[in-house]
Amino acid sequence: MTDKTNDPVAMWQKMVGEMEKGFNSFANQAMSSPEFSQAVNRAGGVAAGAQKQLGELMEKYLVSMNLPSREQVTGLAERLQSVEAQIGEIKSMLSQMAANSGISQGSDGTPRPPRTKRPPSEGGDQA
Amino acid sequence: MNAPPGLDFASIPERIQSEVQRAIQRSIKGVEYFSTSGPTLGSTPKDVLHSRGTMNLYHYRPMSDEIYRVPVLIVMATTNRGYILDLVPGQSFIEFLLKRGYDVYMLDWSAPRPEEKSLRMEDYVLDFIPDCVRRVQADSGEQEVSVIGYCFGGVLSLLYGSIHANGPMKNLICFTTPIDFREMKLFSNFSDRRYFDVDHLVDSVGNVPPEMILSSFEMLRPASRTVSQIQLWENIWNDEFVKSYRMFDRWATDTLPLAGEYFRTITKDLMWDNKLFNDTMSVGGRAAKLENIKVPILHAVAEHDHIVPYEAAKHLIAKIGSADKEEVMLKGGHVSLVAGANAVKRLWPKLDSWLGKRST
Repeated sequence: MTDKTNDPVAMWQKMVGEMEKGFNSFANQAMSSPEFSQAVNRAGGVAAGAQKQLGELMEKYLVSMNLPSREQVTGLAERLQSVEAQIGEIKSMLSQMAANSGISQGSDGTPRPPRTKRPPSEGGDQA
Repeated sequence: MNAPPGLDFASIPERIQSEVQRAIQRSIKGVEYFSTSGPTLGSTPKDVLHSRGTMNLYHYRPMSDEIYRVPVLIVMATTNRGYILDLVPGQSFIEFLLKRGYDVYMLDWSAPRPEEKSLRMEDYVLDFIPDCVRRVQADSGEQEVSVIGYCFGGVLSLLYGSIHANGPMKNLICFTTPIDFREMKLFSNFSDRRYFDVDHLVDSVGNVPPEMILSSFEMLRPASRTVSQIQLWENIWNDEFVKSYRMFDRWATDTLPLAGEYFRTITKDLMWDNKLFNDTMSVGGRAAKLENIKVPILHAVAEHDHIVPYEAAKHLIAKIGSADKEEVMLKGGHVSLVAGANAVKRLWPKLDSWLGKRST
């Protein structure tokens, strides 16, 4: 078996690992400076402003094309969300009714195991 | 001429043959890689107990004949999906807990919708978590609930626990949870109040886009993505490596947007004013001091965590009011602490031995 110090594959992997560490460390130092923060936030601020303007422009375009606007799609999503919430409430009520009737079962209708497990240190079974 | 020490000339043909085979395998597997999808993640059987906008509450179906009395609610970080804790059978934290006899629920997040940009910290801490706790109580029939929070899910759990000090929380487990945000040096610099206009950002974009969240994570180790792709190519002949790479890569890039108002509060109260650490944090006008938490707490931190460095997490245990409290530092990084082969050997058994005796 070859020694790792002479194995070209191992040497390559080590070199890549070292390069990664070195570059990350160098970049982290550079990114710790206030100048970096200033530059990146200036660019981010411009991008956010541009995104807002683009959004407004798209909205106008969709209206002119007689396509549903984002607001209308959001309205539909809200109605769907309300239907989902009501289904959830009905499921929850059914589970509650089942629990009240003394049946210990999950929301899938299968019986739940008893809550009697003890930790192995107290003599319980180790699954 | 002598051979360099350690070099065995006899093994060279064998080595060349092995490398040629790997090169062929790389070409075959490389084509396979691009023509197939990765493994199915998050497949442990579960029921959606409740869903409301960005909030989803799952209940996982028990896998044990007998379960502990106290159910467990996992609160996931709002930036990422919960399936990191439920990768594939054999590497799923959820499956591990179920097989060890825990009754497991998870508060997971989906991308906040545009109309949810106005969700505030109050909505998360005083509405979503208490709502889930109530539903866990109703579903399990038990009053007490243990809470596990991962990363920022840990911060939310701490805020919830400090405000509901007399509430139903029986035990609290935090994984890699920051409280001293000054010590998250790079994030702190990215959000330097002199240059970062959070109001302009939130007012412009509504919800903070996932690309921005992902970029800020990736900037912490800018070379790592490229290097991981080189490593993928080198190891593409190795099915296990590729499976693992795909699982983690998919999860890491599946970042969620953050609700705008919520992000504004995180930036101003936590990043700028470090209020959680300074004991001045309040949510919806209610003081959230860590000393109010009196329940047993375990804080697991990772030795090589580049996202939440130890300095940002180390004061948690000291500031908590509980008598029964423990910090455990384990080998690994921010993600490998909780998922993957490292976690299977280290964190999960530790958690089981700590939580089991406090769950009866």
